[in-house]
Amino acid sequence: MIAREVGALANRVLIVQRRRSQLLLPTFLLPLLLLAVIASGTSAGRGLRGFPDVSSYLAFVVPGTVTQGTLLAGLTAGIMMAADIEFGFFDRLLAAPVHRTSIVLGRLVGVMVLSVLQTIWFLAIAMLFGARYGGGVPGVLGAICLAAITAVGMGGIASAIALRTGSLSLLQSLFPFMFVLLFTAPAFFPQELLSPALHDISRINPLTYVVNGIRALLEGDRSLGSPWAGLGAACGLAVSMTAVATFALKERLRTL
Amino acid sequence: MKTAVEVEQLVREFKGGIRAVDGLDLEVHEGEIYGFLGPNGAGKTTVVRILTTLLRPTAGHARVAGHDVVKEGDAVRRAIGVALQEAAIDPLMTGRELLRMQGALHGLRGPEARHRATQLLERVGLTEAGDRRVGGYSGGMRRRLDLALALVHRPHVLFLDEPTTGLDPTSRIALWREVSTLHDEGTTVFLTTQYLEEAEQLADRVGIIARGNLVAEGTPSSLKERVKEPTVHIELADPEDAPAAREALAGLGIVEEPNPRTPTRVALATAAGKAAIAPVIRALDEHGVTVEFVEVETPTLDDVFAAVTGSHLEGAAVA
Repeated sequence: MIAREVGALANRVLIVQRRRSQLLLPTFLLPLLLLAVIASGTSAGRGLRGFPDVSSYLAFVVPGTVTQGTLLAGLTAGIMMAADIEFGFFDRLLAAPVHRTSIVLGRLVGVMVLSVLQTIWFLAIAMLFGARYGGGVPGVLGAICLAAITAVGMGGIASAIALRTGSLSLLQSLFPFMFVLLFTAPAFFPQELLSPALHDISRINPLTYVVNGIRALLEGDRSLGSPWAGLGAACGLAVSMTAVATFALKERLRTL
Repeated sequence: MKTAVEVEQLVREFKGGIRAVDGLDLEVHEGEIYGFLGPNGAGKTTVVRILTTLLRPTAGHARVAGHDVVKEGDAVRRAIGVALQEAAIDPLMTGRELLRMQGALHGLRGPEARHRATQLLERVGLTEAGDRRVGGYSGGMRRRLDLALALVHRPHVLFLDEPTTGLDPTSRIALWREVSTLHDEGTTVFLTTQYLEEAEQLADRVGIIARGNLVAEGTPSSLKERVKEPTVHIELADPEDAPAAREALAGLGIVEEPNPRTPTRVALATAAGKAAIAPVIRALDEHGVTVEFVEVETPTLDDVFAAVTGSHLEGAAVA
């Protein structure tokens, strides 16, 4: 029963995502634009001493794009949740005999599937432009899984904010913070080459472990990061943030 | 007679001490259409939101389909269908997709949900539009889809919160017809409205709410009878005949005092209403009074509302 509810709500996330260009553009195109700018504008950084030995600069920065995709997919979940609250669709869900957890899980499963599609898209486009993945199919599959789990965590944070505030404009204003989170992780530059302050921050940013894990999986080179540390960070985010979102929903229902 | 909705001393207080519902008591019998009538801000929607488990009461009790709305929310939600005032329908989805999703949320399996969606689209006359995005639907089509969504799981009690507000007369009548059919099928309907005509046309019983409390309740006709008797207005051909007309009508009811501004008019208050027309004409004819025309004025629910609250309904002129 819960599986059916979660499936129906996840399906709605994907339908709406597909049909709303305001959501499609940032989740599928914006990260590629940033990738194009970074790959062409800062590729000289590869020549710096201490830059890891990778197959190409593009292959090095693609994990950053994948991670950015997880942030945007998660934010989308929160925006949709806030819009549902603001425009009344949320009431329709609450008036149905739906298990309350399904309301959160359905959205997060939708985000997870969205992240899988995004990651495949980003990796395929980067491949068209010359990126090669030394980790082979297992590495690519591992990276897709890691990104999907991270997206659940990001969706959990955004959903929790939406449930606590019910404000669509607040969720939309979170967009720049996603970039802060991204750029305080070694998404597009090696952690060792970050400034000391940024380096320290990156050590407590869970996305550091995710992006390094994805990089290691795609390159097939464990010296770039630990996939297990990435998995730990992603799962930690997913579990804790799903719990936070569920708690936020319970609080919202308690104070109706 | 079984009770479908039972409300006892219900209170809902919002921030700032505003009491939207203030000690409300009401009962809705199984299978009836209960018209919940009141102006904007009277507390209608708050009551509906409490009864549909979307809002918690501050005090008091409410049971729907035999279940407590606070303690047995899930059982209540399984028994009810809800079409809220602001039809919250995702404009990017098609009518069929929404119905299938709603079916899944109510536990219908894939093929069953698909079949039910087709069935309901046909029922509300949206078969052709079913695969179009809801964003392109007219207001009437959205309301009909909203009704279909509320019916997916064949609810025992259906809550319709101002279902025809903003609709054109044709769409309104189509929706009324559908509600009547549901009533004939045995569904209990709790209908909030600010349209008198809607309450008169549909409701078996009407409850009038003002400032969060029930100020009158009964069948539309019994409520109107309580306010005043129908009045038969007779337009005479010759104002000289007025005294003779008054004399002729004296035994048929209460003849109202003459009004110098309308010397050709005689008014007779009588409980018989339209049935008094024939005796009136006969009596006037026997007294040699020539009549231009006769009309019967019956009290409206707005008169009832005005009598019990001292003000008129905003929708009175509209409906």
